[in-house]
Amino acid sequence: MLAVETKKLVKKYKTKTAVNCLDLKVNEGEIYALLGVNGAGKTTTIRMLTCLSSPTDGECFVCVKNCVSESSEVKKLTGISPQDTAVAENLTVTENLQFICGVYEFPPEKTNESVDKIIKLFSLEEYKNARAKTLSGGWKRKLSIAMALIGEPKVLFLDEPTLGLDVLARRELWKVIEKLKSKITIILTTHYMEEAEQLSDRIGIMINGELKAEGTLSELEAKTCEQGLENVFVKIAEGGEE
Amino acid sequence: MSKTTAFSQRNLKELIRDPLSYLFCLGFPLVMLIVMTLVNNGIESSTAELPPGAVSAAPTIFQIDKLAGGIAVFGLTFLMLFTCLTVAKDRSGAFLMRLYATPMRSGSFIAGYMLPTFVLGIIQIIITLAASLVIALVKGVDLNVGGLALSVVILIPTVIMFIALGVLFGTLFSDKSAPGLCSIVISLASFLGGIWFDADSTGGFLKKLCDVLPFIHSVKAARFACALDFENIPSHLLISTAYAAVLTALSIIVFKSKMKADLQ
Repeated sequence: MLAVETKKLVKKYKTKTAVNCLDLKVNEGEIYALLGVNGAGKTTTIRMLTCLSSPTDGECFVCVKNCVSESSEVKKLTGISPQDTAVAENLTVTENLQFICGVYEFPPEKTNESVDKIIKLFSLEEYKNARAKTLSGGWKRKLSIAMALIGEPKVLFLDEPTLGLDVLARRELWKVIEKLKSKITIILTTHYMEEAEQLSDRIGIMINGELKAEGTLSELEAKTCEQGLENVFVKIAEGGEE
Repeated sequence: MSKTTAFSQRNLKELIRDPLSYLFCLGFPLVMLIVMTLVNNGIESSTAELPPGAVSAAPTIFQIDKLAGGIAVFGLTFLMLFTCLTVAKDRSGAFLMRLYATPMRSGSFIAGYMLPTFVLGIIQIIITLAASLVIALVKGVDLNVGGLALSVVILIPTVIMFIALGVLFGTLFSDKSAPGLCSIVISLASFLGGIWFDADSTGGFLKKLCDVLPFIHSVKAARFACALDFENIPSHLLISTAYAAVLTALSIIVFKSKMKADLQ
């Protein structure tokens, strides 16, 4: 089954077209990396798929549910970790997670179970009673992703999850994302090529709101006659795809 | 746990874990209560020195039976500030956006902001009036406990009104500009509410302005309740209730429309 599908998806803001005729298909259990320069339309695409923005034209689906007409259903199926870390600063790590369980109306037993599970998965034990505002950037980002995951989404959207993190914190987060591989569908946007190479099953490259190329790394390399994702990306971004 | 309960609990924790909210919502009104009582002591001492038969022009506004209701309303203005800051901060960061992507609806957001601040507002009034009672006992002034209890009830629309103003400003303005705007409203409410001077002794435009705005009616309703003056309570209570209803409706409409615009 397709976890995510867009059909001729368009988003226009006054004179600017942020997303143009996007046809995207992401399979269940896949990690799909969406690459592109700033303003390529990656975040706008994620916003439409998480019901945070309505398309100007076209359609988008999450687990065959329409993101516009069945938004309530879609919201139960998706989780998002936004570009900016979105945590309640004065709440502890545990309280932040319990809060999201409350938003999804989990019964108390399920809340305790889910919180314990997520704390273990993200190795947050040491900080579980620490207030979010006292955490470092890396731990805060981990918490933000944990909050996106605790609602048991079928599709997880990670918008530049490692932006601004140091190398060690980034590697730590990669480990967590790798643990989720095949258990859940993940769509991640990133500017770090090595991140996409390391984590994703397939890669989509967006330029000026359009999906210029997609496939596995080896497929993209073959398509562009380049070695390495960075060279592939530059070639496609500069319009040199063969 | 319902979505609204979860969001209310989160907001309550955010508010009570911010030491500034204690300082302003509880500390500052209590300090003003003590300072103004001391000012009143000074006034009383100076009028006691008047020659026999001379008429005192000293204001009675700082006497504890008048001050109690006024300071209770004054404290609520800070509740508006902190409600406003909570909403504005959530809106300026990605936190609210994250919640928009969950099954939470606009009603849960609004109720989640209003319920915890309402509880805090009521607790704040009770503490302010209890402190007033202590001061009255120390000074030997007769302050009716039943009247103070009635004031708590009478001030419920005022609590709602200031929370609604907080939600409204927090929705419309950023976390940088909203505090400045709230400061203006706090100054206006305390000045035009007749907390620090006897507005009835003024006239012309100032008096008309005081009467048009809700603040003086909240203060008067609380003062009359303290004095168990049932005849004068309804007219002022009606005006403060009407303002609370209109501002609550307005804050809900504005929040909903902003949420809709954010999701375009």
